[in-house]
Amino acid sequence: MRFLLVDRLIELVPGDRVLAASTVPRDLELFADHFPGFPVMPGVLLTEMMGQAAAKCLDAQQLPRGKALLAKILSASFRDWVRPGAETTLRATITSNEARYATAECELEVGGKVVAQAKLMFTFMPIEQFAPGFRDAQLDAFLARGADA
Amino acid sequence: MNTQQALEWIAEVFEEPAARVTASTERKAIAGWDSLGTLSLIAGLDEKFDIHLNEQEIEAMAQVDDILKVLRRHGALAEA
Repeated sequence: MRFLLVDRLIELVPGDRVLAASTVPRDLELFADHFPGFPVMPGVLLTEMMGQAAAKCLDAQQLPRGKALLAKILSASFRDWVRPGAETTLRATITSNEARYATAECELEVGGKVVAQAKLMFTFMPIEQFAPGFRDAQLDAFLARGADA
Repeated sequence: MNTQQALEWIAEVFEEPAARVTASTERKAIAGWDSLGTLSLIAGLDEKFDIHLNEQEIEAMAQVDDILKVLRRHGALAEA
C-alpha cells in the first residue's frame, strides 16, 4: 500500500487553509481484517488523510523550517463509518503557525457530512535533514498551476 | 493563576499525573518532557499565555521551577 492519501488538491492558501479530495480505494488489503464482512477505513488512516492535507498546506509556504511532520494528535473524533469507495473531502485550517510548530483543525466529509474531525500538531524538519532533494510532486504541480493561472 | 494551578497545567502539558509534578521536579524525572513535550510546552505557553520563548529560554529549562519563573516573568503567575 502506498501512503499518499490525498488524491487531489482543490484549493490551497499556503499556511492558512486547504481543501482536498480523496477516494477510499475499494481494494485495500486491510479491509479483510478491518473488519471481516464490514469493511471500514480505520480512524488512524482518516486522521492521516487529514494530516497529509494539512501538512501540504504548511509545506506550500516553502519556509527554511522545512517539512511539516505530524507530532501530536491533540484530538480526534469519528462520527460515521467511511466505507470502501467513499469519496471524501478534506478540509484543514491552520490555527497556529510558528517557527517550531503549527496546529491545524481538520475535517473529513463524505457526501457533505462531517464524519471525522481532528486537531493536529506539526513540527518541522529542514529538508536537508529530512531527505535531501525531497519534493512533493503533487504539491509542486498544484502550485505551478496556480502560478500559471 | 496560582502556583498550584500552574503545576496542574504543566502536568497536563507533559501528560504526567499532577501529583508527580512539583516546583523542584527535574526535567529528567518527567518522562513526557522530551522533544515532543518541549514542543507541547512551547505551543501551550504561546496559545494559553501568549508567551513566546526564545531558544535560550527553552534550552535553559532544567526543572519545573524554570517554567514557573517564565510564567512569573511574563505576568501569568502571581509572585511567590
